[in-house]
Amino acid sequence: MLETEELRKIFKGKTAVDGVNLYMDKGESIGLLGPNGAGKSTTISMISSLVKPTSGDVRLHGRSIIKDPTNMRQVLGVVPQEIALYEELTAYENLKFFGRIYGLRGKLLESKVQEVIELVGLKDRQKEVVTTYSGGMKRRVNMAAAMLHEPEILIMDEPTVGIDPQSRSHILETVRELNQKKGLAVLYTSHYMEEVERLCDRVYIMDHGRVIASGTKEELKSILSGEETILIDLDRQHPKLFKELEGNKSILQALETEKGLKLIVPKGSRLLGTVFQIAERHHAQILNVNVQIPTLEDVFLHLTGRKLRD
Amino acid sequence: MIDFLKKDILVIARDRTELIVLLFMPFILIGILGFALRGVLGGDTGELNMDVAMVINDNEQVGIEKFSEELHELGFPEEVHTELQVVASEISPYHLLTNMLEEESLQDMIHVMELGEEEAEKELMDGNIVAVLTIPENFTYDSLHKMLLNQGDGSNLQITVNDYGSLYASMFQDIIDGFAHNLNFETAISLTLGENTARESTIDRNLGGTETISAGEPINSFQYYTIGMAVMFVLFVGATISSKAYVEKRNHTFNRILLSGKPSYMYLGGKTISAAMITLIQLVILFSLSTLIFGAFRGKTIEFWLGMGFISIVVALCVGGVATLLTSIAIRLNSDSVSHIFSGGLVSLFAFVGGSFFPTSDMPAMVATIGNWTPNGAALTAYLQWMQGLEMSTLISPLSRIVGTFILLLIVSVFIFPKRRSASS
Repeated sequence: MLETEELRKIFKGKTAVDGVNLYMDKGESIGLLGPNGAGKSTTISMISSLVKPTSGDVRLHGRSIIKDPTNMRQVLGVVPQEIALYEELTAYENLKFFGRIYGLRGKLLESKVQEVIELVGLKDRQKEVVTTYSGGMKRRVNMAAAMLHEPEILIMDEPTVGIDPQSRSHILETVRELNQKKGLAVLYTSHYMEEVERLCDRVYIMDHGRVIASGTKEELKSILSGEETILIDLDRQHPKLFKELEGNKSILQALETEKGLKLIVPKGSRLLGTVFQIAERHHAQILNVNVQIPTLEDVFLHLTGRKLRD
Repeated sequence: MIDFLKKDILVIARDRTELIVLLFMPFILIGILGFALRGVLGGDTGELNMDVAMVINDNEQVGIEKFSEELHELGFPEEVHTELQVVASEISPYHLLTNMLEEESLQDMIHVMELGEEEAEKELMDGNIVAVLTIPENFTYDSLHKMLLNQGDGSNLQITVNDYGSLYASMFQDIIDGFAHNLNFETAISLTLGENTARESTIDRNLGGTETISAGEPINSFQYYTIGMAVMFVLFVGATISSKAYVEKRNHTFNRILLSGKPSYMYLGGKTISAAMITLIQLVILFSLSTLIFGAFRGKTIEFWLGMGFISIVVALCVGGVATLLTSIAIRLNSDSVSHIFSGGLVSLFAFVGGSFFPTSDMPAMVATIGNWTPNGAALTAYLQWMQGLEMSTLISPLSRIVGTFILLLIVSVFIFPKRRSASS
């Protein structure tokens, strides 16, 4: 249904997006993962026809939308990272305005406004001005505004940044329902790996403007199928211990976490004994040890050498 | 565009700071300036009252008879002699002077009493009167001699004031100077045209005088500052609209609008209409409040208000043009600094040279000329001319300057406004 071909964007000599190829089938849910500055927002801006690519193409049902984005705009709903609302107006007034500019009028407009506002769970507070809403409520209205014209494709750019768990859960649940029950295709970008794991069928991982890996969640995880993750909780941070483990050739990757350390090691390597010995030498107290199969986060770390939220 | 208009009005209506700037600030300034400068402008006559004395040393009848005898001696043909005699009695300078002082517009302001020389002097010294107007001996004869035969030196009226330079004394002096100047001017025209009688020249007395503000109905300070502040504060609407447009760009609501498929000219046109409508609402509120509270336009006719409405529509369109240009610049530069520069400095400058704070007639000619080319200056001129009762046709010049500015602003705005894709980046 939607595909990009060698999509590239250069801003003032700096390449923000470098030859991105991706595709999306009808009713599919796609995750676009990457740290800040990876080029995710620029990519979706080009897909949604707001930014003209330096080169490459975006096709909807096989037809380029670069020259004439009209068709694209009719089937596309965009939830931007920013709260793209008039804060002085109520949620109801905002939705009415955005509905009108999409050509909705009269009873149809009213019913669509009520439908989307119910969808995001704000029916009781629709007549309050947006300024009085919490961050989570604003994000829900932000999403509702993109749904008024019943799009076929919903692009969501970090829709849960900085919001309370209740709103976050509500948004994720709403997106999943729309995708599964109404067949809405979703392109979802996020820092939060667990959101992408929960919502998306396939994932594209971007870094430095390029897609560095793509596939279903299982396909991506299989990149690390020969490895396992050891999570070690320590009494405090021990930089010298971390440095020694990082330099150990048997350990594929070491990372400092909030509670201690994360190590990616070859499956069955039996390194725990060595780790305990080194810890003792550095007077580090091990509080807990957990051995896991790799997650998408681990795949991302493996591919980029960075955490998603770096 | 109606959708944009509704939204823009709602957004501004919810912004208390903007409302205070757009509606209450001008109203407060009208009050302050209107009261502070009351009496300075020509229309504030209600509060001006002065008593003056007239000392008459001339005998009008004797003067006319003496002049008539002289005509006889000069040997004019009988019919010319008869006609000059009739004219002399009709245009007797004393007669014209007393007629002028008894005119309705002056009667409320100047109370003239006829006194003897000594009594007048005493009243002046006691401060009971502001001036003494002395009509010298042979005033009628000498004046007629000069006016009708162009012989002799004419005659001089004498004004004695106690407090030289006071507002009342100056005004009285100006009125009498004006009378003398008019009489001399008419006489000069008459003689140049080869006319024999001053009666015909009186008909021509408006020659060359209709363009000046003082030629029409006087304007009082509340009327002046209602218009002055209105044409100044409407410019803030332009800055407000463009600042809001920048916020739309910054928080990506502008992108939402683009994504809806609305063409950019519709967005821009929406800004023009919104600014024009908000300006009209602002003007209606200002004029109404000023009339209700300060009585600025109380009792005016429907025709007057229709004219004011027409000028206001033209002014509102021009403000729409200003808003459109500032919006184009803000979107193109992705910054609202130009809007801030406009509202923080340019509006005050425009208001100053446009005459919002005091009449441009009190400024150097060059400043006044520049002021007349500012939209607010041209608007002020149009409003004032209409308020003075001048014909709508005399307003063509300032109004066409405003319309011209509007068209120019629109063309430049469309040229500057970024094309569809680059607008969002």
